[in-house]
Amino acid sequence: MHYPKKWPRALKKTVSQAYETKKLNDVRIALKKTDEQVRNEHEQIVNIGILRTFTIETLLECLRLSLTTIPCNPNITLGEIENIEQELFNKESIFLKSSPDFIYILWRLEELLPNLMWNIDSMSLEQRRDSFDMLVDRINQIISQYQGSAPLIISTFSVPDYWKSSLHDKHRSYGIVEIVSRLNLFLYEQASFGSIKIFDMAQWLSSVGELAVNKKMDFYARQPIAARYALSFADFFSQVVRTLLTTKSKVLAIDLDNTLWGGVLGEDGIENLNIGKDYPANVYWRIQQVVYALKSRGIVLVLLSKNNITDVTMAFDSLSMPLKLSDFSVVKANWKSKYANLIDASEELSLGIDSFVFLDDQLFEQEEMNAFLPSVEVISNSGDPLNLLESLSDNYFFDSFLIGQEDLVRNEDYKNQVSRKNLENELDRETFLTSLDLKANIDSVNDANLNRVMQMISKTNQFNLTTKRHSISSVKKLMSIKDNILLTISLCDKFGDQGIIGLCIAINSSKPKKELIIDTFLLSCRALGRDAEDALWCGLIRHSNNMGYEFLRASYLASSKNMQVAGFYNRMGMSPEANKDEKNIQYTLNLPQQENCPEWIDIRFMEIINEQ
Amino acid sequence: MNNEELLFSSIAEVLGVPKSSINEKSSQDNIKKWDSLAIVNIVSELELVFGVQFDILEIVEFYSVEVIKVILIGKGLKF
Repeated sequence: MHYPKKWPRALKKTVSQAYETKKLNDVRIALKKTDEQVRNEHEQIVNIGILRTFTIETLLECLRLSLTTIPCNPNITLGEIENIEQELFNKESIFLKSSPDFIYILWRLEELLPNLMWNIDSMSLEQRRDSFDMLVDRINQIISQYQGSAPLIISTFSVPDYWKSSLHDKHRSYGIVEIVSRLNLFLYEQASFGSIKIFDMAQWLSSVGELAVNKKMDFYARQPIAARYALSFADFFSQVVRTLLTTKSKVLAIDLDNTLWGGVLGEDGIENLNIGKDYPANVYWRIQQVVYALKSRGIVLVLLSKNNITDVTMAFDSLSMPLKLSDFSVVKANWKSKYANLIDASEELSLGIDSFVFLDDQLFEQEEMNAFLPSVEVISNSGDPLNLLESLSDNYFFDSFLIGQEDLVRNEDYKNQVSRKNLENELDRETFLTSLDLKANIDSVNDANLNRVMQMISKTNQFNLTTKRHSISSVKKLMSIKDNILLTISLCDKFGDQGIIGLCIAINSSKPKKELIIDTFLLSCRALGRDAEDALWCGLIRHSNNMGYEFLRASYLASSKNMQVAGFYNRMGMSPEANKDEKNIQYTLNLPQQENCPEWIDIRFMEIINEQ
Repeated sequence: MNNEELLFSSIAEVLGVPKSSINEKSSQDNIKKWDSLAIVNIVSELELVFGVQFDILEIVEFYSVEVIKVILIGKGLKF
């Protein structure tokens, strides 16, 4: 169980008690305490809408408790049972009027295709295939017609109980088991296109086992989830919202001795370290494989070890292991405290302390990190290698829905960041920027870069003027309007290619006077400090001028994380409108304007604008 | 807490009513919150508290404390 760091110890204990006893009353007590103690502390209000084909009313308190630990302040609205399309597409429905931020659809084959369920044995192959096609069409229509901005989170299907042990069903084409697999495959495909998010209920059911379904209550109240498993279900349910709401941690700072290998290098010597294919060395081998997998999907690795750097280098050179020393963007092998080394690494990488996760087998080191740098997420573990491995594998700090090209090169990029930082320290700013040999490409948003665009929209907090979290369907809609301007910027320098690091969305206001409104202007924090934002601005001005726009309007919407861009539009020459609301400052600019591109960036403007 | 007190307090907690308002005569007829969804919660809670399993025909009779008590006695609990 993972709790928000700021929660008082007593509250954590009360919530733990509810998770332990699973009693409804304990869940209620925990909810009451969270209401009293933390709910009022300006926690983000999150409206969750659930459409379903079965009863979940009795699970609502467990769902609320689990969602509260994200942390957020959840409001849950249920649609009428089996009224999925009616609730989703009727703008007057109470469901839509609750303005859901996330919409879940929970369904089962039993309710969607009852005829197929019980008559399949007397149906021809063609009839079975027709039933499947009909349901896919229905799901497809729901997905394609849905235009809302709340992400659509759809549950996967499980094989209904009656058919689980049927052998003949598994040996026919378009049997129930095959249909369930095909439906799930269809949903996974939709998720890979970015149209939906998956709530993998089938996987949850298979991981918790048959006892999670209470057949008695399913018959009695069409309430299949057993009370004993309600909190487990709720946690699995919350995982999707948690990943969408919270910022993924970016860095794993990891200890070496008794964490990445068994034994202490300085005492045991290289030849006696435990790392290999036999027990228990194979557990450390697996830990290294997991760390390497994290690196492969874009998590930056930092090594924090109380050792001599020469010994560490020699050990990595001598031993054949999944991890190489070069896999780490920063290596801190010295005798300073781990938190001091972590601060240094954070400065070298230009990444906030709160984007770090720390793993160490020693309780002392875990506690010290908690005490000195409370914003670092410490992966709690007992020091036992198997527990280390499980703690590393089971945490959700690094969860994300998408791994793009930018994630894959991130480690290399952050290593380059350290080189840039070293160079920056040596030179004055202008000489430094010129020496980087910066090149930028301004391109339109298109199908090829849409996934990266969505990733930036959902994750960028600091350099983000409006923090609007558009859904993929709303971005596609904006792309389809010819007069809108949607631009990306990619950046490379002599140290490496950073890929797409910025986005600007400007919308035609549809007024007679040709007016453009900046909806989104953001830049990845990896690209800060090299005036890439000026280059993107330059691209916007060029395209606005070319399209004959006469007026540009923009707003700075303050969030808890975007203070650093409060003066950006002023710096770009826009005039703020007289307004007392510091959290929503409006700006205007007359066009055409001269482009003031930064001299040290070689900007290439792609032939655009909107190809749609 | 004896089994009777445990039964009364569990039902009161599930229904969200004061413990003093639950007694042997409490039922769907005199407690408004005792609806069909409350029955699902009462069944789940009592299964957890008393470590028993109710069968589907027994659940149909979960409309009063008196009947629930009889069902529990039938499962070997002492009141």
